[in-house]
Order: sequence, then C-alpha cells, then structure tokens
Amino acid sequence: MERQAAYLRNALFDQGYLDEQFLQLEDLQDEANPHFVEEVVKLFYTDSVRLIQSIELTLKNTPWDFEKLDNIMHQFKGSSSSIGAKKVKKECSQFQEYCNVGNVEGCIREFQEVKQEHAALKRKLENYFQLAREAR
Amino acid sequence: MVSARDEEEKHLFHVLAVDDSHIDRKLLERLLTFSSYQVTCVDSGDKALEYLGLVDIHQQNECERSSPLSSPSSATISCESISTKSEVSKVNLIMTDYSMPGISGYDLLKRIKDSSWKDVPVVVMSSENVPSRINMCLEGGAEEFLLKPVKLSDVEKIHSNLISSTNYNPCEENAIAEIEKSNNTKREGSEIDKNCSNGNKRKAAAATSLDLSDRRPRVQELPVS
Repeated sequence: MERQAAYLRNALFDQGYLDEQFLQLEDLQDEANPHFVEEVVKLFYTDSVRLIQSIELTLKNTPWDFEKLDNIMHQFKGSSSSIGAKKVKKECSQFQEYCNVGNVEGCIREFQEVKQEHAALKRKLENYFQLAREAR
Repeated sequence: MVSARDEEEKHLFHVLAVDDSHIDRKLLERLLTFSSYQVTCVDSGDKALEYLGLVDIHQQNECERSSPLSSPSSATISCESISTKSEVSKVNLIMTDYSMPGISGYDLLKRIKDSSWKDVPVVVMSSENVPSRINMCLEGGAEEFLLKPVKLSDVEKIHSNLISSTNYNPCEENAIAEIEKSNNTKREGSEIDKNCSNGNKRKAAAATSLDLSDRRPRVQELPVS
C-alpha cells in the first residue's frame, strides 16, 4: 500500500502534474500538522470551483469582459502555483494569453483545457491521499 | 544549526501577514508557524491598517501633535480608540501581497512607512516578476520583495537579514504600542528589554551558527561562548 502511494506520488511528478512547490507543502507537514497537504489541496479545490463558476458566468455575458476574465484567471493561476499544480497553472497562463489578445475561440478552447487538467489532478490527488491514508 | 535561544526569540517574533488569497494565507501562516513565529493573518490592506490602528491617519496625526490635556474632545476620543487598537501584540514584520482588491500592497507599504510603524520591516510578495514593480516597492521602503509561491528558504533569508542588519532594533519599534502598554506590561516590558540586551549576542549567533550560502554578511564573525 505504501509502495503504491509512493508510486502514484512519483508518477504525478514525472508526468508533470506537480512541481517542486508540492514538495514544499510536504516539508511543512509534521506530527503537529499531519494533514497539511491534504488541507491545502482541499482548499484549492473549494476555491477553484468558485473561480470556475465565476468564469462561466462571465462568459455568458457578451461582449466578454476580458479584463475580468484575466483577473479571475490570475487568481486561479496563483492558487495553482501555490500548491504546485503544474499543468493547471500552465493552462491558466495560456488562457490569459488568449484573453490579452481578445481571442474568443482560443479562450473557449483553453478554458476546457483548464477544467480538464483541474479535474484530472483532483482525481489523481484523491487517489494518492486515499492510498497514503490507508498506508499509515 | 539553530540555537535554542534563536528558537526562543523567534517565538516572540510576531508577523502580520496580509493576503486576499485564502490559500496563500494558509500557506504563509504555516511557513511562519513552522519557523516558530507568531502570526496574525488578515485578508486585506484595509484590515491590516485597522489592526495597526492606522484607520484614520489624520486624526492620529492630530493626537500625536496635540498634548493630551489640551486636545479637543474629538481628537482625544480618536486617540483612545487608536490606543485600544494598538494594544495588539507588537508587530515585528509585515508581509503583504502586492495585488489585492482595495488598497494594494504598495499602498499599504507607503501608509506604514508614513506612520509610527515605519520602522517595522515590510516584505512585499507577488506572483508576477515585474522589475519596475519590484524596484518601486524597494524604493518605497520594502525590506524585501518575494516572488510567490513563498518558500521556507525565503522566510529563513528574511529572518537572517533582519537579525544581522545593523539597523534592526526591536526596542525602537511600535512607539505607540509601547506607551500604551506601560501599564499592562511587566511581561511585555521584560520581553522588550530581553530583546535589547540580547541584540549583540543574537547577531553573533546568527553570523556563526547559520551556514547557508545566500547570507549577506553584515557583521564580522565573533566567537560564541
């Protein structure tokens, strides 16, 4: 079980889902704060769901408020960066680039990518935390 | 190697952390408590000003200028409300995000540097690497500018820069808070005295016991007994 958890964790790094910021989170976990990483990740998902909803709402109003979209995405990118969510962060940046040039199609496409990466990481991290808990 | 005295002194070190992002506040709080500091987190520049008792700058300046006996009643009342607010524990360091809704980290920096808290070091953090922004903050009096996400090594670097800086003197900080605390204060007073008298020893300890390559040597290494 422990080996499975370790394998999953390493895969997340190898496949580029997570970067060294995740290691920093792990370094901050100790006996006094044994669930710190999971808590931060949970917070990220609660926060980011709200941001995704905000983007979807903004996309419903035409003409698009690119500045607002960029603003929301900036927050999303910041949170992703804080937990080491490498792929999510990259897609957020890409979305911002499309926003900056007012590329509507690019934004729509990229927003799908953001949501996909966001969901994929969530699944993988949930599996990992599950295994890690069982391994203790 | 960190000495026991170092750890003990860190416990007296109070950081005010300002960030509108819930995740970044949680991260910063953990980074700081992991490093043995006391932390207070607020989610906006306005709340930070409130915490520091700087909400109404004009009235505060009025209080500082006029004598307590002859001041007009409105100024006296605001002095009292400010002194209640500044009964917060002293603040040794302020760490603020740059981009926040409402007042920005830069605006907060300027307000602090224009106030009785001006000697408290202010660190500005941002997820964006914009050289002109960084320069502006440093020129505005920021102690340091950190790129997010903030790491343990950043916190360690700041601490070592602060304690090795020849300008750093915890006794001179928070003049209003100290005056207000003169009653409450046996414990507070002795903590402040302790910090003062240990100042030199702390510098020596910092110079010899820390061995990270990015230290800026500002004091000569002294033998530690």
